[in-house]
Amino acid sequence: MSFEVPIGPQHPIHVEPLMLRLKVEGELIVDVDVDVSYLHRGIEKGLEVRPYIQGLYLAERICGICNCAHSLCYCLNVEQLLGKEAPPRAKYLRVIVEELSRIHSHLLWLGHYFHTLGFETLFMYFWRDRERVMDMLELITGNRVTTAYNTIGGVRRDLTAEMESKLRKALEYLEERMRYYEKVVDNESTILARTQGVGILKPDEAIKLGTVGPHLRASGVKHDVRYDDPYSGHDEIPFNVVTYDSCDCYGRVKVRMGEVLESINMINYALDHLPSGDYRLKIPPLFKAPEGESLARVEAPRGELVHYSISTGGTSPYRYKVRTPTLANLLSVVHMLKSRGDYEVYIADVPPILGGIDPCICCTARVIITDEARKTRRITTLSELERYSRERRGRRR
Amino acid sequence: MIEEVLASIIFPGAIFILAISLFYEWIDRKLYARLQNRVGPHLAGPFGILQPAADFIKLLSKEDIVPEAADRFLFTLTPIMASTLILLACMFLPIAGPKGIISFDGDLIVVVALLSIYTIIVYLAGEGSNNRFASIGATRAALQLIGYEIPLTLAILSVAISAGSLSLSGIIQAQQERGLWFIAGPQLIGFAIFLIASQAEMERIPFDIPEAEQEIVAGWEVEYTGRRLALFRLSKDLELFLLSGLGATLFLGGSAGPIIPGLEPLLHTIYFIVKSVVMLVIFTIIRTIFARLRIDQMVSFSWKWLMPFAIILIILSEVIA
Amino acid sequence: MGIPGYFIVEALKNLFKKRATILYPYREADKIHVPEGLRGRISFDREKCIGCQLCSRVCPAKAIQIIEDEKGKRPVFLIYRCIYCGQCADVCPRKAITLTKVFENITLRKEDLVVR
Repeated sequence: MSFEVPIGPQHPIHVEPLMLRLKVEGELIVDVDVDVSYLHRGIEKGLEVRPYIQGLYLAERICGICNCAHSLCYCLNVEQLLGKEAPPRAKYLRVIVEELSRIHSHLLWLGHYFHTLGFETLFMYFWRDRERVMDMLELITGNRVTTAYNTIGGVRRDLTAEMESKLRKALEYLEERMRYYEKVVDNESTILARTQGVGILKPDEAIKLGTVGPHLRASGVKHDVRYDDPYSGHDEIPFNVVTYDSCDCYGRVKVRMGEVLESINMINYALDHLPSGDYRLKIPPLFKAPEGESLARVEAPRGELVHYSISTGGTSPYRYKVRTPTLANLLSVVHMLKSRGDYEVYIADVPPILGGIDPCICCTARVIITDEARKTRRITTLSELERYSRERRGRRR
Repeated sequence: MIEEVLASIIFPGAIFILAISLFYEWIDRKLYARLQNRVGPHLAGPFGILQPAADFIKLLSKEDIVPEAADRFLFTLTPIMASTLILLACMFLPIAGPKGIISFDGDLIVVVALLSIYTIIVYLAGEGSNNRFASIGATRAALQLIGYEIPLTLAILSVAISAGSLSLSGIIQAQQERGLWFIAGPQLIGFAIFLIASQAEMERIPFDIPEAEQEIVAGWEVEYTGRRLALFRLSKDLELFLLSGLGATLFLGGSAGPIIPGLEPLLHTIYFIVKSVVMLVIFTIIRTIFARLRIDQMVSFSWKWLMPFAIILIILSEVIA
Repeated sequence: MGIPGYFIVEALKNLFKKRATILYPYREADKIHVPEGLRGRISFDREKCIGCQLCSRVCPAKAIQIIEDEKGKRPVFLIYRCIYCGQCADVCPRKAITLTKVFENITLRKEDLVVR
């Protein structure tokens, strides 16, 4: 006997609203349907009406956790439009804050992931260690979460010697804790039972479905934007791309833990080899960008993040488009959640699998209008949505 | 006559048991929080000791909603039966003396039967709610019952076989006569099986699968609100008291200990509380250090590991006696 | 398979450590130290302002209103709209705007959230 179980839009495992309709038979999942339109905020439209310097802060707030990646990608995009490049010291400082924010994001994800598995103690421990990272971010940038460190032409503040010594001490503490947590994940029997063999995604399927980020690297594919397309001095800073061959949720946990250790090494290297000089270019705040289009991509903690913009010579972009990594990874969730043949997926596997892609639905929401009668689909604009909702309300009265 | 009625209502009867079980919930929550480097309840009363009572009173004052499609009879009956049956089973425990309030030969079997009926009531509560999540939770609870019930019963009965008596007071007497027999004997296996199987009975991590908060949003109790939810949560606390008291009675000697004549009820109560708090601390530590298992993993673990050890235990208890 | 209960040593060690929670309202024992560069509430020096209106044009949240007083144009900051980005402080040519370390900006009256 099969019935439909809705996971969402409001559910304890979702941080943001997402609808997953599962068709289950007993505990076995046989079919999945996804709906992401619950959190549409109209940010791309908002970026079209604001000058570039105001759009920086709007773009930063697309996602609370990957805010550094979004602001970095926006700055790289606009700098490409202007034809300028940040000075060498700014590149290294950007790397330091970006890697700190990556550590922060992975620690948050690890805590949340183990909470959805039922292991509340590890959740509390990970988030306690995350507080150290947020204290460091507050020291360097002035705020714990929305860091607002990057600006068009460089970074906004310099790194002093006192900040550097505190940062090194915090990184030592974090490295020791991470090595302990790696041992726990390797040895704790209930964690192994819940994550090994769950959510299998073979490498060729992963590439066909367009997955990116640590999710892809856990299937053994070595693809990282920092390695393939270095954007901020990554060609000078040595690091390893962490991959794992097990193609399941256990691999995803291991990849992210390995990335935290790699980030710690990168920050230490950048602190040792910090070039001297200016940390920002002098660009007037309200400028008119020359005509053209530009594209920038960045390795956000969740995967490859792409910003694209078209400029027609005004103070704000003509069109700005953001493609976030979660949108690319959601197709693989649908693929992984269906049982076929020997591969069985239970309702109890939904948290490990959905959590394994590190979903950040606030970046993802899109609205598409489907016209059943004429069999067409189109993407709607804000004015059409407003008119549609007003007409609907009028008709109901 | 009046004395017996007073004993069964006030001390060590219903009111005492209810108060102590709220205190045990406080110990559980505070210890769980300290193990996680947090604070735990700290605002209601000194050190937050009145927090479980405050939660109970708050739930009693909330609106009581019965969904239209739910079975009204089951919806009303199951919370009342859950808390009443467990309270009845608590009355068999020897607290203020070598005998419980109700004591007869064979009362151990009644306690075990009441524990099993509790899970059937949980199943009825889930199915009666007419909600997808509740049905899934109720089915999981029934599946879990298949897993842990036999090892738990065998572990309890093997103590009875070794002691040669089927009543709780007889078991305490046998323990007093034979000293620390359970450490040196096969009852150590029974103790381990009892610890694991009672975590599954009480639906706590790693076996809180029927009400997995992160998967099926509170499982079988998802539709209960207000007074009914208050009674279910009270039945959980009472079950915690029952199983830690049962473990203390069967394996740690219960309310026995060196006595000073004249102060007997007080000393017996203190011994009982201290020993069952030891059991409670072990339960809480087990809750802290594991993640949640899947239902098929739980049942297969139970049948692959707990069952063979339980059978070996029974044989050893018969043979070694 | 793993070792069941691997975590127990760490859990028991944490029983004796000081709590990681910081209680609010602050007790004396855990008053937190905010670093110097924290971006908090805006403070404004009227003497240094020259009325260029750059701050109002770069504010992403439209939290700065320009009014006229006896010395010329000057900004009024609406803290209830401010996102604490600090762009106005960056762009002011006379450094008349600074961001202080005050982050507890909760109040019951809206007038407390306007900096003149």
